[in-house]
Amino acid sequence: MIGFLHPWVLAGLAAAAVPILLHLLARREPPTVVFPAVRYLVTTTREHQRRLKLQNWLLLLLRTLLVAALVLAAAGPTVPVSGVPGHAPSALVLIVDNSPSSGAVVGGTPQLRQLIAAGRQVMARSTPEDALWLVTADGIPRRGDRATLTELLNSLKVSPRRLELGAAITLASDLLASEPRPGEIVLLTDLQASALSPAAPSAPLLVGRPAVAPPLNVGLGAIETGTQPWSSDGGRVSVTLVGDSGRQVPVTARLADRPGRQALGQAGASVSFSVPGRTSGWWPLTAELDPDEFRLDDRRVTAVRIAPVARVAWDTTSRFVAAAAEVLAANRRIARGQEVTAGGLGPGSSVVQPPADPAELGALNRALAARGINWSYGTLTTELAFTDSGAVVGRQSVIRRYTLQSTGSGRTGVLATVNGAPWIARDGRVVLLGSRLDPAWTDLPVSAGFMPFMDVLLNRLARGEAALEHGAPGDPVILPGLVTEVRQGQRDWRVEGGGQFQPPDQGVYYLLAGRDTVGAVSVNPDSRESRLARATDGQARRLWQGARLVPLEEAGDAAFSYASRGDLRGPLLWVALLVGMMEVGLASAWRRRP
Amino acid sequence: MNSTGVPTGRARLDLLDPLEVSKLGGLELITEGVVEGFLSGLHRSPRRGFSVEFAEHRMYQPGDELRYVDWKILGRNDRLYVKQYEEETNLRAMVVFDISRSMAWTGSPSTVLPKLEYARRLIAALALVLIRQRDATGLITFDDDVRSVTPPRARLSHWRQLLATLSRSEAGQGTAASPALQRVVGQLRRRGLVVFISDLLLDRTLALKALRFLRHRGHQVLVLHIMDPAEVSLAGPNEARFEDPESRSAVVLRPRDWAGAYRETVRVVVSEWRLSCRRHGISYHRVTTDTPFGIVLREALAPPSRPA
Repeated sequence: MIGFLHPWVLAGLAAAAVPILLHLLARREPPTVVFPAVRYLVTTTREHQRRLKLQNWLLLLLRTLLVAALVLAAAGPTVPVSGVPGHAPSALVLIVDNSPSSGAVVGGTPQLRQLIAAGRQVMARSTPEDALWLVTADGIPRRGDRATLTELLNSLKVSPRRLELGAAITLASDLLASEPRPGEIVLLTDLQASALSPAAPSAPLLVGRPAVAPPLNVGLGAIETGTQPWSSDGGRVSVTLVGDSGRQVPVTARLADRPGRQALGQAGASVSFSVPGRTSGWWPLTAELDPDEFRLDDRRVTAVRIAPVARVAWDTTSRFVAAAAEVLAANRRIARGQEVTAGGLGPGSSVVQPPADPAELGALNRALAARGINWSYGTLTTELAFTDSGAVVGRQSVIRRYTLQSTGSGRTGVLATVNGAPWIARDGRVVLLGSRLDPAWTDLPVSAGFMPFMDVLLNRLARGEAALEHGAPGDPVILPGLVTEVRQGQRDWRVEGGGQFQPPDQGVYYLLAGRDTVGAVSVNPDSRESRLARATDGQARRLWQGARLVPLEEAGDAAFSYASRGDLRGPLLWVALLVGMMEVGLASAWRRRP
Repeated sequence: MNSTGVPTGRARLDLLDPLEVSKLGGLELITEGVVEGFLSGLHRSPRRGFSVEFAEHRMYQPGDELRYVDWKILGRNDRLYVKQYEEETNLRAMVVFDISRSMAWTGSPSTVLPKLEYARRLIAALALVLIRQRDATGLITFDDDVRSVTPPRARLSHWRQLLATLSRSEAGQGTAASPALQRVVGQLRRRGLVVFISDLLLDRTLALKALRFLRHRGHQVLVLHIMDPAEVSLAGPNEARFEDPESRSAVVLRPRDWAGAYRETVRVVVSEWRLSCRRHGISYHRVTTDTPFGIVLREALAPPSRPA
C-alpha cells in the first residue's frame, strides 16, 4: 500500500492539469496570415496530420506526467518493498526483552548481550529522519535519537521484572498509532514460551530470537515459612523447585547468618527444612542453589517473624472461637493470658466479633468509640456473599454480616473485604470482624483455613502486625493502613498506609509503623522466568498475526527492510528527469522535422 | 552611365538585388539598364535565329572567339577586328503572364518584391532582349480569365506598348491558365516561343495539358515558376491561420512544427513540375523573387534543352 509522508502536497496534483489547460488555452483563434501557397500547406498537413496529432498528445502526456511525478515526489511516497539499502522515514519501536530470563548464559554469552548487539544493529540502520523508541522490561517507552538509544542499549542490564511480550507489542502499537510515518515494531527476545501473550500489532512486527536453544534450568520457585510468628525454637521451611531440567540439585536454606541447611531436590518437587530459631524479631531467610547458566533464580529470599506466642483470653461462650483457641493453646501457638482478648472487646488487644443479640450492638459501638476506635458496626446484611481473597483470609462464603463503618477520615486498616466492603478492619490493636465466627454467619469456622486464620489473627493482627506479603520486582503491593515507611537494607521509602508500593528489585522489604516493624514484603522474580523453554515460531505467529521471525543476527538487516517502505522520491525524481528529457528531446526533434 | 541615367558598365543592374534595382527608376528605365548589363556580359548573341546577318565590326577584345575575326582586315591593316552579327527577326514569342491575386503577394515587403512586380520587370527585360533581336514579342495576361492580349510585334515601339500593358496589369482574382494558353494558339501561327510566367498555384493537370498542347504544336515552351522566398521556407508567428488570398481556404498550424515538412512538400512540387515539363520538352525554371534578373535571363535564354 502506497503511503505519503506529506499527503497534503498531493493537492498539488491539480497542477498536472496545467499542461492540459495551456493546451486548451492555446487553442484560441490564432492570427490570420495571407499565404498564397496554402495548397502546399494542405498537402503537407494532410500527410502528417495523424503523426503530428499523436506527437502532440504524447507531448501533452509527457508534460502531465512530469508535473504529476514532481508533485508525487514532493508528497514523499513510500511503498512496501524489500531488499532496498535505504528506507523511507519510519517510526520504529524497538522492544528489548531484558526480563530475568535474558540473563541466561547461552553459548558462553549472556543472552542479553546478544539482544543488545542485535539492537545496536537495528539502531545502526536508522536515519535521523526516523522516529525511534526503546521499550524494555520496565515497560517505559523511551524516545530518542539513534545515539541516545544506542547508549541506553549499551547500559542495559538484566531486569528483575518480567516482560509480557503481548503487552509490550500492544504498547508499541499504541505508540505508533499517532505516527504519520510508516511504523514498524522490532522485538528482540529470547522468546520464552511462558512470556508469550496474545497481541494484535498495528504495524509490521519483526521478531528477532536466538537460534541456539536455551539451557535446561532448575530454579527456586517458591519459599514457604509456614505459620508465623515462629517461636524461638524455629520452624519449617518448604522450598519449591521449578524449571525444565530433571536433574537433582542441592538446595541450601539459611536463616540470617546462621549456617545453612542443605537438601537435594529437583524441578517440580519441594524440599523441606527444619530451621532452628533465633531471638525475637524479623529475620531474612534465604534459599539458594549452586550456580548454573541462569543465576537469577538460584536465590530466593523471604522474611521470618520470631516472637513469643500471644497470651489470649477467649470467650468461652463463642463455641468455635473457644475451640480454636484451645487447639492453638494445645499446640503452643498461643498461651492463656490477658494480652489479647478473643471474641469480645477487652482492655488490651482485642479480636471483636459482633454480638449474637442485636440489642447489644449499641453498647458495643459506644464502647469502641470510648476506646477511640475509628470503626463501628452498622446494619446487618443477610445475603450470601464471598470474601475477596487476600493475605489474611482466602475465599469464604459469608451469610450474615454487619457493615463496618469508618468513623475516621478514611478507610485505613481494612484487612479483608466482602464484595469490596470492609469485613475485617483494624484500628490500633483492636480487630473488628464483620461476622461472628459461627457457621450460621460464615463458613470460615468450618473451613481448613480457620486454624491458620485464628493463628494470624491472634498472634499478629491483634498485636498490630501485618501479614507477610509476597511480590515481584516492579509489581505494586498494597500496603497495610498503619505502615508509614518501607525499608530494605540501607534504603528506605516514606509511604502512606493503604497506598501502593513498587519494590524495585529482589529482596525483603520491611514495613514500619513509626519505629516498629509490623510486616514484610518478600520480593522475588516471577517463578515463570525459570522455565527457559522457548516458544516455536508457529506459536508466536499464531499469537501475533503477520509476525516475521528471524535469527537475532539477521534482525539488524531485516529491520526497516522488513515490509519496509522504500522511498519513492528518488525514483520519481529520476522519472521526472527522464520524462523532462524525453519531452525536450522529442519536442526539439519534431520541431526540426515534424 | 547611359543617356537615361541608369548606371550600366561596371554596375551591372542585371546582377543587383531586384528590389534595389526597382528603386532606381521606372519600368522602362531599369529594364533597359538590366538588359544593357545583361547583354554586355554576353560574348555573342544571346539567341540564335534561323539565320544571322552581319551587323558591324568592332575592335577585337580578349576572349572573343577567333572564328569571328575578320582575317581580311587583318591582312590589309594588320589590325584585329571581329564581325558582329544580328539574328534575323523571324522568331515570334508570346509571354503568358499570370496576374492572379496570389502573384501580388510578398512574404517580406521591405526586402523582396511582390511576385507580380518582379515578373513585370522580368517580362519587360525579356521582351526587350527579344525585340532587340528582332523577335516579335506579344503578351497575354490572365487571372481567372484572359485579361489582355497584345499580339507579337518586333518594333522597339511595340516594347513600349508592352510596358504600358504590363504597367496597367493589376492583380486579379483566381488563376485559370488554360484559356490564356489556348489563346496563344491564335496568336502564334508559326512555331514560336511561349514563355509562361506564373507562381503555378493553379490546377497543374490542366496547365500541363495546355502546355503540352502548345509543345505539340511545335512551339518552344519556357515555364518560369515564380516563387517568393517565404513560399519556399515556411515562417511566421507561433501559430497562425494561413489563408489563401484567392480561394480563402485556410489552415491553422504552428510554422515551426511544419517548416521541415513544408520544405519537403515544396521540393516535391517543384520536382514534379520539373519532371513533367522535361518529359514533354518544356523548359522549366524555378525563380525566386530575390534572384537578380540577369541570372534569370541567362537561364531562360540559354539554348533549349532537348526534349526528353
